[in-house]
Amino acid sequence: MNVRAHISMLFHLDKCIGCHTCSVACKNLWTDRKGAEYMWWNNVETRPGTGYPTQWENQDHYQGGWKRMKNGLQLRIHSRTKGILKLFFNPALPDLEDYYDPFTFRYEDLFNSPAGDDQPTAIPISMITEKPIDIETGPNWDDDLGGSTIYAENDPNLKDVPQEVREQLGELERLVFNYLPRICNHCLNPSCVAACPSEAIYKRGEDGVVLVNENKCRAWRMCVAACPYKKVYYNWSSGKSEKCILCFPRLESGQAPACAHSCVGRIRYMGVLLYDADRIPDAADVDDENLVAAQREIILNPFDPEVIAAAKANGIDDGWIESAQNSPAYKFVKEWELALPLRPEFRTMVMMYYIPPLSPVVSVIEKDLVKLDLSEEMHDFEVFHRLEAARLPTEYLASLFSGGNVEIIRKVLRKMLAVRVYMRRKSVEGEVDQVALDALEKAELTEAEAEAIYKLTTIPTLDERFVLPPYHREMSIEAEGMDPLAHKGETGVGYLQVPMRGE
Amino acid sequence: MKSTAKRNRVRVYLALVLILLAGFLLSSIYIVGAAPAYQSTEEGKLIFESQCISCHTIGGGRLVGPDLNGIADRRETDWILRFIIEPDRMIAEGDADAAALLAEYNNLAMPNLNLTQTQAEAVFAYISSQSGAGQAQAQPVALPEGNTQRGLSLFVGEMGFENDGVACVACHTVGRVSAYGGGSLGPDLTHVYERYGEAGLASSLGGLPFPTMQGIYRDHPLSPQEQADLLAFFSWSDAQATEIPADQFTTTFWIWGLAGAAALFLIMAIFWMRQRHSISETLRSTS
Repeated sequence: MNVRAHISMLFHLDKCIGCHTCSVACKNLWTDRKGAEYMWWNNVETRPGTGYPTQWENQDHYQGGWKRMKNGLQLRIHSRTKGILKLFFNPALPDLEDYYDPFTFRYEDLFNSPAGDDQPTAIPISMITEKPIDIETGPNWDDDLGGSTIYAENDPNLKDVPQEVREQLGELERLVFNYLPRICNHCLNPSCVAACPSEAIYKRGEDGVVLVNENKCRAWRMCVAACPYKKVYYNWSSGKSEKCILCFPRLESGQAPACAHSCVGRIRYMGVLLYDADRIPDAADVDDENLVAAQREIILNPFDPEVIAAAKANGIDDGWIESAQNSPAYKFVKEWELALPLRPEFRTMVMMYYIPPLSPVVSVIEKDLVKLDLSEEMHDFEVFHRLEAARLPTEYLASLFSGGNVEIIRKVLRKMLAVRVYMRRKSVEGEVDQVALDALEKAELTEAEAEAIYKLTTIPTLDERFVLPPYHREMSIEAEGMDPLAHKGETGVGYLQVPMRGE
Repeated sequence: MKSTAKRNRVRVYLALVLILLAGFLLSSIYIVGAAPAYQSTEEGKLIFESQCISCHTIGGGRLVGPDLNGIADRRETDWILRFIIEPDRMIAEGDADAAALLAEYNNLAMPNLNLTQTQAEAVFAYISSQSGAGQAQAQPVALPEGNTQRGLSLFVGEMGFENDGVACVACHTVGRVSAYGGGSLGPDLTHVYERYGEAGLASSLGGLPFPTMQGIYRDHPLSPQEQADLLAFFSWSDAQATEIPADQFTTTFWIWGLAGAAALFLIMAIFWMRQRHSISETLRSTS
């Protein structure tokens, strides 16, 4: 057993309101620079939709992630030999069109235009060429399914959804969408690291954050192609690849990443997970349907004395183990089995987890009136009661979060529904009846668990949402021979080396 | 007080330096002005041996150009000086004597050697001083046996010159020496053997006295063996090859150039059809 610690983020999609505050916080902090205008290390997608960059999940086109071969996993972009042969030919990259041409507006026109009969307008200009452009798309062009139906219809996740249901999804009275915030998944088996010919990308030992060493980056852009989530970006100005750094300078000074900290819906949780690094290759090499289970399997119980001993032997200190025991990530992922990895069939073993959203039942048209499709025998009004009538097809959620395994999605949704029914009886109606208890039993939950899920979902404090481990940067400073007190209150320690293009 | 004294001393130094500088400048002007207009025969000897000797002798008989022994007695000094400085213009202007000389010497015009008036005077002085002595002529170097095939290789550059000189084909052509002929900057050398005669050509190959070639081959002279090989090659070409005007190659060049371009465009067209389109644009254009 090779125990290592990983810092993980959870996205409770049932709570996401799609306000893009996370994206803006990230943009202001990290990518408000020349060459990074088009990058959104954090972005929020409306689903069904094509996402950003367009159809990033379409690996026939983008060649990201891993594929299973007879003798284990292999990068989809190329084999080792092909990688050398095609070193200078790397076409599987997203076009700038697939991201978007970053634009701003010429606001000075509003003040400087000569007097005329019409109001002056601020015309859109490209942030790259600074010339006027026609805006054709943007990073959230299909926000709230606005604008056009082509984006929702071309969501790759609708592949497994029956044609009849797909058509229904387009009807106005059955429309449904949810939001999907995405950052770098800081994978356990990162294909960007494996694809880099310069060995510039690495996974940090202490917390698993995947970083690009820009002093080593030589702009091959294999990482951009190999990442199945398209979360490594190429800066056209500096000639280096860039990606989400999980705000490690903030983590090291005890703050949650900017996206998580600024989240309006408080959908994000952070905590430490302990995992067995020796079992990664096996866990990534199973059938699609079993990937979620295999990944849960290698996440270890931080209360197990054997795990604690192995963790200590690997240099994980008491503070981190304690942090792992209080981790909301551990509770949601392993204890309650509510949180799922995004598109696990790319086999990079993502360490950011999603709690799938519930959706209301579909409505029907009866005598020219739109009516919710509720059964006659239902006496208590429960819009979210029936899974089979839920507007978001389970096949769709299964494609997103469980490698096509619908049963896993049903189990998660059943648990969430049971908690709702149980807590509604308890707090609104004041009495837990047999219906609620049956729902809990069907979902394999105890009353205490339901209560705990409810509490961590709805009324967690900041410290319960973000259980951040002590990084002890003061110790590293001391090891470098510096006085920790001289750097007290500063964020980040190290040397600023500006990377040079081509070096 | 102290600082004023110091300042005064600085001023004295400055004045002294200025006077010294002015004196130096004035004296240098005087030296230049006082330099004799008439160069010594030493400089004339240097110029003659480097630039004239390949074609001319003083009392050694005619080579490519006439023997210059006693030239001062045969022509007027002004005429001689002008001919040394700008022979090309005198011929172009139709000077009767110059034209007669040109006709006499196989229509091989003496190149303009870019000499100044002073240099020309020096050369003239040297020639005058040597007239009658019969010493200044190219000492004929005994060339080894030449090989025509090797001469051809050297000419087209298949074989490099020992001293890294540029291959002749860069500027000259001989018959059908390569698919598109050689360079057309220098003259066609197919019948150079006939024009210069064996002795003249051998002497020219030794010094390469032509103004354009001088700069190129000054530090890269031809070895005796190479000279002999080229001489053999030119002798062969004079007998076997015919001159081909440069524009005859132009058509061939165009045909092959256009065919090559068409082939490249064809290959590009194949890949053009298979180029990757962005999903975003495809979605928008097909809906």
